[in-house]
Amino acid sequence: MKKITILSLALLAIGLVAFKNHSGGIFKTNTGNINFFSHTSVEDIAADNHKVKSAFDASSGKIQFSALIKDFEFEKALMQEHFNENYMNSTKFPKTTFNGMIENMDAIKIGTDGIYTSNISGKLTIKDVTKDVSTKGTFTVKGGVVNAKATFQINPTDYNIEIPRVVSKKISKDIKVSIDADYTHAH
Amino acid sequence: MKKPLLLLVSLLVLGAVFYAYKSYNKEHTNVATTDAAETITAADLFNEFDTDETAAMTKYADKVIQVSGTILSQDLSNDKEPQIVIEGNGDDGFIRCGFKPSELSKVEKATPSTSIKIKGICTGLNGSDELDLLADKDVVLSNCIIIE
Repeated sequence: MKKITILSLALLAIGLVAFKNHSGGIFKTNTGNINFFSHTSVEDIAADNHKVKSAFDASSGKIQFSALIKDFEFEKALMQEHFNENYMNSTKFPKTTFNGMIENMDAIKIGTDGIYTSNISGKLTIKDVTKDVSTKGTFTVKGGVVNAKATFQINPTDYNIEIPRVVSKKISKDIKVSIDADYTHAH
Repeated sequence: MKKPLLLLVSLLVLGAVFYAYKSYNKEHTNVATTDAAETITAADLFNEFDTDETAAMTKYADKVIQVSGTILSQDLSNDKEPQIVIEGNGDDGFIRCGFKPSELSKVEKATPSTSIKIKGICTGLNGSDELDLLADKDVVLSNCIIIE
């Protein structure tokens, strides 16, 4: 009788672990994309970073990003240089990070292909200035890969990014930041 | 205005316009034709960043550096930038090398556990102790080329 109890407990434990692995776990990428886009009547400026590190915990909904400022690539080398040296001071402040929550994690069925949405909120740090940001994220689950897309606006002055008067007409006060990342289960 | 003066002024203006045009259209660093500022092993490079990130940034950031090490894996999950991961500290520290899509066929040939020598522009140390899900760290190189 005892043996049977132990056996059933063991089976239950295995079942729980298997279930947890199926519905939870850490999903990760090192090749996420962050694009930012500044539009003014004078000039459009865009940059892409394809080496964004990010992960989320499918049980708790915790989501984090870390991206190097110097990995944002511009079409024009001069713009990239100005961005790094004049505006971002990227040797001193090399990273931007986000630490937040997928608010409605329970609604995202990691094991079932489909398109899900949830609010994402948390703390965005740029140049050592941390602000609360919140946006809607779209999660597309397909064959175990979770693609997340989200867009939000930031104002450079909120993060101590000073834009000199001479170029202020060329750089928007509402910079559109877009995230596109494919997460896979981290082993 | 006297003719010689007019000529001088025109030449100066022309020079300024040419200079402005040249800087505006400045080319990105060509890694292939730029000599490496530093040559270092993957383990030493990771160790320098891990020990003192600020000092390592001053020493390596924005510079073309040559790194040798052992390939851990390829990461082809983003077709805009194929990547090779080189072992760093033998644990959760790596060197992550980004390539232009035109280098894809060479990146695909990279075999895990074999040695590699690459050149690229150092952009920093990604990952963070303050983010528990992203505690693993990568020293990142951009616009890489494989030397051998």
